[in-house]
Amino acid sequence: MITIKELSDDNLFTAGHTACPGCGVAMSIRNAIRVLGKDTVVYVPASCAVVFGTTFPYGAWKVPFFHTAFENTGACLSGMQAAFEKKGKKVTVVGFAGDGGTYDIGLQSMSGAAERNDDVLYICLDNEAYMNTGIQRSGGTPFGAWTTTTPVGNVVQGNRRFKKNLGDIVAAHEIPYYATLSIGQPLDFIRKVEKAKNMRGFRFLHMFTPCIPGWKMDPAKTVEVTKRAVQSGMWTLYEIENGDKRITYKPGKMKSVKDYLMMQGRFRHMSEEDIKKLQMWVCKKWNLHYKEKGAPDVCEILPPVEHHAVTEEHREMHGP
Amino acid sequence: MKKVITGDHAVAIGAKLCRVEVVPAFPITPQTLIIEHIADFVSDGDLDAKFLTMESEHSVMSAAAGASAAGARVFTATSSQGLAFMHEMLYATAPLRLPVVMANASRTLGGPPGIWCEYNDSMGARDSGWLQLYVEDNQEALDMVIQSFRIAEDKRVLLPVMPCLDGFVLTHTVEPVDIPEQEEVDSFLLPYEPDIILDPKRPAMIGTFMPSEYIMELRRQTAGAFESAKEVIRQINSEFAQKFGRDYGGLIDTYMMEDAHTALITMGTVTSTSREVVDELRRKGEKVGLIKLRFFRPFPSNELKKAVSHISALGVFDRSISYHGGGPVYNEVRSALYGMTMPVINHLAGIGGRDVTKEQIMKMFELTQKAGKGEKVNDISWHNTRGETN
Amino acid sequence: MAAQTLAEAAVSEGNYAVAFPYFGAERRGAPVLAFTRIDSKKIFSKTQVYAPDCVVVLDDSLLDTIDVVAGLKPKGMAIINSREKPEDIDLGKIIDTATVNATSIALEILKAPITNTAILGAFAKATGIIKIESLEESIKRKFGEKLGAKVGERNALAAWTAYERTITGKSRGVKKLEARKQWLPTHQEIPVGGCLIEGKTDAGLIGPGSFIENKVSGWATYRPLRDKAKCTMCLLCWFYCPEGTIVRISDRGDLMTNYDYCKGCGVCANECPVDAIKMVRARI
Repeated sequence: MITIKELSDDNLFTAGHTACPGCGVAMSIRNAIRVLGKDTVVYVPASCAVVFGTTFPYGAWKVPFFHTAFENTGACLSGMQAAFEKKGKKVTVVGFAGDGGTYDIGLQSMSGAAERNDDVLYICLDNEAYMNTGIQRSGGTPFGAWTTTTPVGNVVQGNRRFKKNLGDIVAAHEIPYYATLSIGQPLDFIRKVEKAKNMRGFRFLHMFTPCIPGWKMDPAKTVEVTKRAVQSGMWTLYEIENGDKRITYKPGKMKSVKDYLMMQGRFRHMSEEDIKKLQMWVCKKWNLHYKEKGAPDVCEILPPVEHHAVTEEHREMHGP
Repeated sequence: MKKVITGDHAVAIGAKLCRVEVVPAFPITPQTLIIEHIADFVSDGDLDAKFLTMESEHSVMSAAAGASAAGARVFTATSSQGLAFMHEMLYATAPLRLPVVMANASRTLGGPPGIWCEYNDSMGARDSGWLQLYVEDNQEALDMVIQSFRIAEDKRVLLPVMPCLDGFVLTHTVEPVDIPEQEEVDSFLLPYEPDIILDPKRPAMIGTFMPSEYIMELRRQTAGAFESAKEVIRQINSEFAQKFGRDYGGLIDTYMMEDAHTALITMGTVTSTSREVVDELRRKGEKVGLIKLRFFRPFPSNELKKAVSHISALGVFDRSISYHGGGPVYNEVRSALYGMTMPVINHLAGIGGRDVTKEQIMKMFELTQKAGKGEKVNDISWHNTRGETN
Repeated sequence: MAAQTLAEAAVSEGNYAVAFPYFGAERRGAPVLAFTRIDSKKIFSKTQVYAPDCVVVLDDSLLDTIDVVAGLKPKGMAIINSREKPEDIDLGKIIDTATVNATSIALEILKAPITNTAILGAFAKATGIIKIESLEESIKRKFGEKLGAKVGERNALAAWTAYERTITGKSRGVKKLEARKQWLPTHQEIPVGGCLIEGKTDAGLIGPGSFIENKVSGWATYRPLRDKAKCTMCLLCWFYCPEGTIVRISDRGDLMTNYDYCKGCGVCANECPVDAIKMVRARI
């Protein structure tokens, strides 16, 4: 397994791209492509990643890049892969789609490629809303979250539905590999990308990628927020290999979901009642993924933990 | 070798002779026979291609774009609602200059739903950047698949091409077709070798986000490729005629036009029937002629002008309605002939697959002749349409 | 937001005003353009502004790379967010200039380097085109509606503070700034289908990897300083940097940060397990 030290120095996604400071998508793309290496061909559907990664005549990608539309990542990957196979070329065909492009508008196309078990790697960069168009709710938006289409109004506050369970949908296609990833767990991240790269058939990597303006948070906290997501159970790290599910990282004692929510402006309006609802949803997920046989269910509401800012400069920069 | 086959079968054989490499497919009547035949070829080992069973037409064209950008020769087929469903992707493939060839089995685009011939499916895609051509029989259907790849992949063109064949009237009708030898086709159509493809050895960016500082030049460039395509189409038509002995005339074909006083512009299979009508009228001593509009994109304005320079009245057949009053072909022809003073009148017929009979075509000539004599006739006539008097 | 707020304030004084952004491809923190037209009668023009009466610069680092007063009318005015006095600012020509340290004001009052309301205060003071009171009203309304009354009031205070601290004078006119070269191919020259491989033009690199032509240091308010003595070379900063601006040098034995590409997000400092990285103001 590759460690951080052994990662390549090649910048296959170069500096000078125009993503927001602290972008979780840019961070994940950079490291995924570091592991995937040069013999990779990339498809990116309509998303921030198209815009900040390529703006004619410039581009950050140093591997071949293709883009056409929003809803067709699965199909484009299948077509590219078919051509390479016909020509006898060995390349890793990779799609980097957002949550909107995967959970919603691109679900059908992704499902087609998954069901055919086409030999491609599908990466979903999940930042939990349509960020490229300016933060609108997607099927991946969590309960309670503010977006511009789930505003905080006098009558309705934030998103009223829970995040779609994409993992089960993808896994139901009985594909060789599905895994969830978080940049905050580098070794787990690297291992899963490497594993997916070396497998054949349809592989799906589901990456949790914070969005600074969309989540209304401090850009310095991109990684920290993913860690808290994992510690609270909002995001769980596991993989399903040929039908066998395995938890790849189990946090210690569950932390309150409030720890995670309080870092982000998109949750700031949430009522105690809504937080409780979300906590219950998280507990259910936690029990499903982490509970040992015979152990009691975790369903308590935990008090949030006090966190401290890192430096004085940070306090000046981002407020108390 | 002569075979008695359907139009769909002829198209599939054409694709096979072109040694297509990737075929993403999705069924839709009346095109389905095409992809079924290709599936058979691949399953039997007669065609070494990747056949992809996609889950929608949008995905068909997406996979086609991906495969073409990766350097493969790509063929597919669709019809009607399927063409509409992939509409977005038609606009993606053309300006990126991906030379996909896709047969379209012309069919009414609902609602209300129907499965028979009408051109409102492909006419809706006329500004997508695809070359469009319409064939009149199964032989031409096969031959034009071969020519389409030559045109599409020509470095002066590099645009996708859509040969259209009339739903059921050709797709499900058998007639004798001369099938060229593989070696002959191989020497006519060389392997596809694009300059820029998705290749890790020489990375390219295809389909980058493009600001307004550049997009207008790109559109202008694509428009230029359409202009170049006209000469390429003529050249390839001549080359094909020399090699295979069948000359289709290029962008348009004419019949009995040399001394004609009145002419009718037709497309697709109505051309075929009209040939017999012209013969009958000529036997009666009437100086009528026929212009077959083969390519609708690029639109052969100059050829048309030249072909009608000596006649006194022109009728234009349309198999779909553009809601400005007449059909889209009428619109284009009038615009092409701007400045010429002869009457040009529109004949709408065969919409929704209604049979276009010889009597209707006779009537088209009759009305056009009347207009030529200065008699008052409607600019736009709906033929064989209840409640309509012409 | 500043352009729109200005338009609203102008309208509240009985004028007609139009404000619009130029939608570029860049994300948050990147230089952006916005225009405001103010007139006593209805404005029909729907094109961008090429010869403004006043140019407002929210980030003085742009002065090094862009000739911000290129189209400015001869009697026009420049309003610049800067620590400098007008006479210390070189715009390549001597023109009426107003400066205010809007960044400090924003950090002081809003606790974030968001300078668009403060700079409007400077605009009101320097040009007199709108009254600071109208501006205050429109800021409170606009920000209040979206982000709550408190935020509205704080932003209005930022505008007032800037109004009071604005210094007017004349700029210096020494330097010659060459316009940044841009590759503008004709339709005959543009690559077929806009498909690009690695290439070089008079204006620099194009195609794959060519974004390195795009220096983004101007985005940064802060930048990281690494204490070599504390650093354990765990490489987490190198791994996490979303820009790829931290590179391994000396046979991978050391790290270097290329500030040309640092947007100052602060992830490296936040994640450093031994607190070896501090964020400091990018420009003093």
